[in-house]
Amino acid sequence: METIILSKPQNNTLLAQLVSLYQAFKGREFSQPRNFDVSNVDWFSPLLILPLVAHINCYNSKFIKDENNINHSYLDTINFPYGVDSVSIFEQQVQSHKSYIPISVLKKEKGAERERLESLFSMMVYNTLGSVPGAQNAVYYPITELVTNIFDHSQQDSGFIFGQFYPKKNYLDICIVDCGRGLAKTYEEAKGIKLTDSESIIEVLKGHSTKPSIERGYGVRTSKQVVCDCLGGEFILFSGSAALVADKNGKKIVDLPDFYWQGVVTAYRIPKPTSSIDITPYLE
Amino acid sequence: MIKQYKYTIDVAKILAPIVGSRDLMPVLAEAVNKSDTKAVDLDFAKVEFVSRSAAHALLLMKEDLQRRWLNKKFIAFVNASENVQEMFRVVAANRALPKTNELQVKIEKTDINSLAKCSC
Repeated sequence: METIILSKPQNNTLLAQLVSLYQAFKGREFSQPRNFDVSNVDWFSPLLILPLVAHINCYNSKFIKDENNINHSYLDTINFPYGVDSVSIFEQQVQSHKSYIPISVLKKEKGAERERLESLFSMMVYNTLGSVPGAQNAVYYPITELVTNIFDHSQQDSGFIFGQFYPKKNYLDICIVDCGRGLAKTYEEAKGIKLTDSESIIEVLKGHSTKPSIERGYGVRTSKQVVCDCLGGEFILFSGSAALVADKNGKKIVDLPDFYWQGVVTAYRIPKPTSSIDITPYLE
Repeated sequence: MIKQYKYTIDVAKILAPIVGSRDLMPVLAEAVNKSDTKAVDLDFAKVEFVSRSAAHALLLMKEDLQRRWLNKKFIAFVNASENVQEMFRVVAANRALPKTNELQVKIEKTDINSLAKCSC
């Protein structure tokens, strides 16, 4: 099994985490099991580690951490790499580790239990962020829309979700991952349209659903609007060999040459809200 | 013989306090179908939030159950909080008057290596 050394991101931005992931997976066939060596990394953001979690769970990959590095005990605290897939274990973990939210593995077969786990996750995220009027909707909206996409479109039976609030930096990071068929293949299989990965991201931004109803296709676009325009945050989505990088100032489609993520990864960062929020104008 | 009284379903108990997933609506529909009354109240008292996707699926389910020939069900959404009501209003308004204009997406293209040089 090939060992991939994950490089330490240049800084704490979402883009820097994306660059580290890109370097780790670049030039490698996606679906092969790997041995991820995270020894060089001393700050684990959701965008950096959740894709590894998904790969470890979906492809039986392994990991190496530095047992002597105190920062790496954080990985145990958040249940890296296998996460929790039940409400009872989630509650036990929260009892033991208080403000740390465990990595959650959402399994389709668990039905309403999965919905209750996602609810607990979202409520804990909201609680750690603190409450201003409207913050609850702002926290819950993108999580619910992006997670439901996994089970509506990816044709995978599991999804991964993780979040961390950084009180000193005053922001919240969320990441949602699947190893499903990805955006381009979804358009091809559901609508018979052949698109590149970049084109399929643009279709998503236009609100063109892979489902026949014109009432659908709002989830990603409006979630991005809530994160970037309403909350002043940053938003990254990648699938296949292309990424969307957006903030309140604009958005870019980014080619990821010689790289392929089988599925969809969405990550966003929102500053802690300080005044009341109304997401309604951003829902269209 | 169909009984005339209403049957009430606690949505948070059947699903969760945050109703997010479209694919779980059959779980709720099954609970509705098990009732032996025509009128069924879906009680949202303990529901904190309904996603846009779930609200859309709930409205479709309501219409489908009412429209079918056999075992019709008349669903009412009751005890919904202000924000849950608002989500239903957004989705219902969009259902009544869907946006038909093609959305233009102007977007700059770049690659990860140039972006990384600028930002890292």
